[in-house]
Amino acid sequence: MSPQESLSENDFQRLFAMEAEGRLDTLVDELLELEKGGATPEMVASLFREAHTIKGGAAVVGMPHVARVAHALEDLLEEVRRERRGVDTALIDAVLAGVDAIRTLIPLAVAGQEHEEAAFDAEQRLRIAVGGPPVVDDKAAAGPGVTAPAAAPGATPSVRASAAPDVAVPAPSAAAPPPVAPAAPPLAPPSDAEPGPPPAPAREHHAGEGSVDAHGAADGAAGHAEPARATATEMLQIPVHRIDELVRLIGEASAATLRLGSALLERLERDPSGLTEYRDLVRSLNELQELALHARMIPVMSLAPRLRRAVRDLARETGKEVRFETRGEDAEIDRGVLERLADPLLHLVRNAVDHGVESADERRQKGKPAEGTIRLHAMQLGSEVVIAVSDDGRGIDVARVRETAGRTDRSAIEMDDEAALYLIFRSGLTTATKVTGVSGRGVGLDAVRASLNAVRGRIEVRSDPGMGTEFRIAVPITMATLRCLVIKAGGQAFAIPLHSVRAVLPSQPSATVGGRAMTMLDGRPVPISSLSAVLGMGNGAVGPAVVLAGLTRSHAFTVDDLVDQRDVVVKGLGELVPRLPAVAGAGVQPDGSILLVLEAAGLIERARRTDNGDRSQEAAGGGGHEEPVPHRAASILVVDDALTVRELQRSIFENAGYRVRVAVNGEEALAEISHERPDLVLTDVQMPRMDGFELTEAIRKQPSLASLPVIMLTSRGSDEDRRRGLECGADGYIVKSGFDQSALLSAVERLLGADR
Amino acid sequence: MAGAPTPRIVSGQLALLIPVGSDTYAVSLETVREVVVDPRVTKLPTSPAVVRGVFNLRGDIVPLLDTGLLLGLRPVMEEPYAVLVETPHGTAGLVATDMPLTVRLTESVGHSDIEGTTETYLVADARLAVALDIPVLLSPGRISQ
Repeated sequence: MSPQESLSENDFQRLFAMEAEGRLDTLVDELLELEKGGATPEMVASLFREAHTIKGGAAVVGMPHVARVAHALEDLLEEVRRERRGVDTALIDAVLAGVDAIRTLIPLAVAGQEHEEAAFDAEQRLRIAVGGPPVVDDKAAAGPGVTAPAAAPGATPSVRASAAPDVAVPAPSAAAPPPVAPAAPPLAPPSDAEPGPPPAPAREHHAGEGSVDAHGAADGAAGHAEPARATATEMLQIPVHRIDELVRLIGEASAATLRLGSALLERLERDPSGLTEYRDLVRSLNELQELALHARMIPVMSLAPRLRRAVRDLARETGKEVRFETRGEDAEIDRGVLERLADPLLHLVRNAVDHGVESADERRQKGKPAEGTIRLHAMQLGSEVVIAVSDDGRGIDVARVRETAGRTDRSAIEMDDEAALYLIFRSGLTTATKVTGVSGRGVGLDAVRASLNAVRGRIEVRSDPGMGTEFRIAVPITMATLRCLVIKAGGQAFAIPLHSVRAVLPSQPSATVGGRAMTMLDGRPVPISSLSAVLGMGNGAVGPAVVLAGLTRSHAFTVDDLVDQRDVVVKGLGELVPRLPAVAGAGVQPDGSILLVLEAAGLIERARRTDNGDRSQEAAGGGGHEEPVPHRAASILVVDDALTVRELQRSIFENAGYRVRVAVNGEEALAEISHERPDLVLTDVQMPRMDGFELTEAIRKQPSLASLPVIMLTSRGSDEDRRRGLECGADGYIVKSGFDQSALLSAVERLLGADR
Repeated sequence: MAGAPTPRIVSGQLALLIPVGSDTYAVSLETVREVVVDPRVTKLPTSPAVVRGVFNLRGDIVPLLDTGLLLGLRPVMEEPYAVLVETPHGTAGLVATDMPLTVRLTESVGHSDIEGTTETYLVADARLAVALDIPVLLSPGRISQ
């Protein structure tokens, strides 16, 4: 097995940042669910687990301040879990504020920027919400002005510290004046916001006065949704075209570098991949390109909170009961495209609440549940993202649409239902009998369509009378051109996005290791396959190799030949062609031919499967001779639901020469163990489905596994947990926050030594 | 996109005959966008065999489908003509192995039991043409099978 590429601490921090982003979104979603209806213990436990996982991840990637805030959040949710604190608006707001603070702090930590003070403030606020005293710290003196508005409604800042614990859990009657100023809109600061004063003076500035300046307002009064003070100074809104220009220039630089490489090879007969400087340059450029491209992609569901809020507010305003559901958390889209979808989507969900969903009474009469449902569903299909907004309301009255349009356009009368339905996108058409503040003005759906045209998107509508309406928007994931390396394989030209090309190697010698062909890159073995074979186009010529980087691993592909580099406007293959993981899309070339654009991750996955297929065939035939395995490395099963922690541990152990398998919870771990017994199990404690205690107990119950060493790794350092861990049969108990690589390795080595 | 649903073929209607090997199929002329002679097809590796590739139609990328395989019959060996049909899911090309011709359909002579087809019609030269049910035949689900 090839060792995992070694990742720096910063890589893990970035990985953690991505993971945390998703977990925070989940947390917010679940929280809003919680707000809507009775809190079940499962829901609260799930919230707690998310906070806990974020805390653990932050601790292991070296973000102690983030971990502290997450810890405070966890403690707050622990109170709820233990039913020592109820769910009320104040709690929801406090948790939302905590989530927003963590969201703001992580990028600062990744960038190595100062964030301790902001973390301290956030932690304070959460501690106050728990009902306990604020953290005693010499900084507390500087804190009141910042923390007061969120924590203590009605209390003046100067008395906040003592007043807060008493008012932190408002009686139900106190719910009317919300503790968090609702007026603060959840908007980002204006893009041209001044950089603002540096954090320290700013703090002094408003520490002394209870009223708010710009920073104080963002920090305290707005609580949730407003980025913490640091954001104003540390985050920039950048016009998309600047990033585009950056991506283009990086592409140019990569292209020039690869040309330089082939010039070196051809004219000087010097293999550039042997030059460390050249390799460093190529690698840096690739990383740069990936970062720049990634900077433009954001999850479609990052719009969900805004839409959810709109649904919630409008439902309240119109006196309807509406529930908002989302699906498709993993669909990502170019930031620029998504920005232009925000208004159309907002319009569609508002329409759905106002026109689609009936009043609770009307729904009951129709035999529907009183609560209407609006769904937002995003899905990536090839190079397009499809976003559906659907409701289970009354549907569109096509007859009325036809009649209204017919007043100005006789041809509308003749239209069949489907054609008539699309009349709703005409300018000025409304069937609403009264104009509300929300909709009914006849401006809207035509504007929606116009906005979509601008991003080369399209919209479809389906409606079932009495059952509901669905709008589907399809937009290209990105409108940018992609700089590609064009190669030939199996006699056909293909484009490979340059950002996934790690290196181009001259015709490579390869060795077979464990039945798998490998070549060397930067002194490390990389699996190598024939691209045409992977694409099912025969074996192809053995030419140069292109090393592609997928999300987690690299893979080399031999190609017939390198052609050139060019910008390709990538288009989707349409709805009729099934999604092909190895094909990202296609571009039409100036000569009218079609150039297929390959997708690195899909290709690598396919290569691995093809490869495994070959090997299992060999094994079945019994013809292949076994490669001698020089040393059987001990195998470790890492069990953790946090991606960052799993990958960090995988990296540590693989670099130390162990074989590593991973599982995301106790159940999966047991399945892995029954499949192949590892030499040691390293498990997290808090996990969904089956936690670390249960896993350890289950292992100990099986006589054949009685001697299998189990180490528990947890972010909870409580004595109770430690005792319980040891009671259920764990051999070691390591606390993540006090965790260092060498301690972990030596603990593992000790246990493995004892076992063997 | 918008537009009317794809009409199914009926007697008395104008239809385009699509020769595929020794068989002949018919589609309503209303669903046909155009016929492309000798399309320049780019193979689409890893796709199901029914997708013979993609070709460029004035800047749009259009899949070319194997009419035989689509009906669960033998694959075609060549692709001298592509009949472009409009479907609710976009435009697709159907391979014709000989020049497609327009006819007016007479009475149906019987029901066709091949999935994705409707009726059988008697056309010129005592040939039988089986009418294709485009919305059924050209659905993303069916193509990905």
